[in-house]
Amino acid sequence: MSRLSKDSNKYFFDSIYIEEDALNYPITKNIIEKYNASNFIVIKHYKDVFNRLNQNFSVQKQNQSLILAVKNKPFIYRGPDVCQNFGYSNFYYTSFLLNCIFDCEYCYLQGMYPSSNIVAFVNIEDFKSEIKHTVSKETAFLAASYDTDLIAFHSIIPYMDYFYDFFKDLPNLLVEVRTKSANDIFYKTHKPIDNIIIAFTLSPHEIIKKYEKHTPSLDVRIKAVKAAISRGFKVRICLDPIFIGDDVDSFYEPFYNYLFSQINPDDILDIGYGFFRMSKDFFKRIEKIRFDSLLFCENYSLKDDVLSYPDNLQEKIMEKHYKILTKYVDRNKIFSL
Amino acid sequence: MVFIVTALMLEAAPLIEHYKLKKDMNINNYPVYKNDDITLIVSGIGKIKSAMAAVYILSTFKCKKEDILINIGFCGATSFKYNLGEPIIINKVKDMDTGRDYYPDVYCGKNIKKGTLYCSSKPMFKEDYIDNNDTFIDMESSGIMEASQKFLYAHNTVILKIISDFLNPEDLDKEILKSYIKRNLTSIDEIIDELKNLNHSLRNPFEDEEKAVNILCEKLNFTEAMKKMLFKEVRKSKLKGLEPLSILNEFCNIEVKIKKEGKRVFEQIIERLK
Repeated sequence: MSRLSKDSNKYFFDSIYIEEDALNYPITKNIIEKYNASNFIVIKHYKDVFNRLNQNFSVQKQNQSLILAVKNKPFIYRGPDVCQNFGYSNFYYTSFLLNCIFDCEYCYLQGMYPSSNIVAFVNIEDFKSEIKHTVSKETAFLAASYDTDLIAFHSIIPYMDYFYDFFKDLPNLLVEVRTKSANDIFYKTHKPIDNIIIAFTLSPHEIIKKYEKHTPSLDVRIKAVKAAISRGFKVRICLDPIFIGDDVDSFYEPFYNYLFSQINPDDILDIGYGFFRMSKDFFKRIEKIRFDSLLFCENYSLKDDVLSYPDNLQEKIMEKHYKILTKYVDRNKIFSL
Repeated sequence: MVFIVTALMLEAAPLIEHYKLKKDMNINNYPVYKNDDITLIVSGIGKIKSAMAAVYILSTFKCKKEDILINIGFCGATSFKYNLGEPIIINKVKDMDTGRDYYPDVYCGKNIKKGTLYCSSKPMFKEDYIDNNDTFIDMESSGIMEASQKFLYAHNTVILKIISDFLNPEDLDKEILKSYIKRNLTSIDEIIDELKNLNHSLRNPFEDEEKAVNILCEKLNFTEAMKKMLFKEVRKSKLKGLEPLSILNEFCNIEVKIKKEGKRVFEQIIERLK
């Protein structure tokens, strides 16, 4: 089912749930005006809808609803060990949005949330206060687009517009915005600032086709990377998740060579590199939902409650990949877990 | 299976006729009418009766989460902007006694208006309703929601209400009420088709394999853990384009007397599936 409405280029939500407390926020008012053909349902608390029993993640994904809510504390969280901190010990993440408009087969959100509807928090000033408070004590690295894709959501709620000036005034804060989106409007309408990194997740096109449903193609993503670079933004390339297997191993060498034939390696800040990995609990839940996924039938190795490929296999593949990548990028510019 | 719950026989009659349902003579507790695909139960008026009937029918017929439950019935409208006989699909049910809200996922009836429904435990008249909301009122929906959320996916419960009055539920003409249901039969057909299509993708593609694994595991005295492992390998094998059923068949006639022997056969099957 197409999520774009027929009469415009707008992403379409058939149902929009709005918390009573969220009704008077500017973001809510904008959404009500923009999506006036949707059904609006007033709710007491977003969890009354988001945490219901027996929701079907994949059916909801095809018919995503939007839930506008007011978030309570905490507004930022310590970064988890399964994520790269790029050398920053004060690593935090924040979630203005829960869930994503893309439908990647490997995505951990399927195991993390009971619903695939999108929750958008409207009380952005509260997020700003807590971020400001945290940064006042220490320099920090903040992943702002975890559990979602802010750039992909930009045409629905432009969080990046709302936070741009705020981030600009906090030099103690380094913000990473991770995306698979081809939407380049943010780069075209804003000047680059030193403490924002746009982190593009890129994969071989065979992997995109196989696992990353509804996401832009590799070439379109590369075009967005180029747009961000040409406007002077700091760009990080995330080669994450990397998959291992006889059926996929051969995709990576041509992909790396193609990538750096398109993008000047000197123009990128660094590279994040990571293998497919997932918490055991999330994996178990997804296994039940994605019963037709080969990815979730495979046997993985368990270490500290995280499932991934066995260490020796990871080392072997990593060495092979690094040999290619270091032809283009200095080894100390490649970060892995 | 499609389950339909109506409060009144007069709501059920046009549906029984349209779907050519036959009374299930084995059931005495409730009036239940069936064909191969649809089972209808007449619950009686009120949310407790509707909850009881919904649980009864869903349990008796061993429903699966992919089955569909539609509550079809009349409601009152608080606003005159609607027409009598107009259908409404409910996206929020508010129980007027407990204040609890229920939210079915609504992915059907594109051309039908959607709205909030208040569920009252007694008939509601214009003078009783003091809020100024543009809404609808019935007496069964919260019971249906309370029951169905335990059994079915959230998108598989549909509360379809047809406006019978403007909070003056007295002396309503039975024939006119029946005609309201008849007028909406096409929409009901469409709702059923839409939900069936939506649920089609949820069908377990490994149903045959699951059955075969169960039979084999019982025959060979495999433990639950072995069964789980075996089914995972069977799934993987099918997803890789192999034919695990024929491999399982090869082991169907093997007899196992001791545990050690069972383990050996188990390893052989796993190896063959790879």
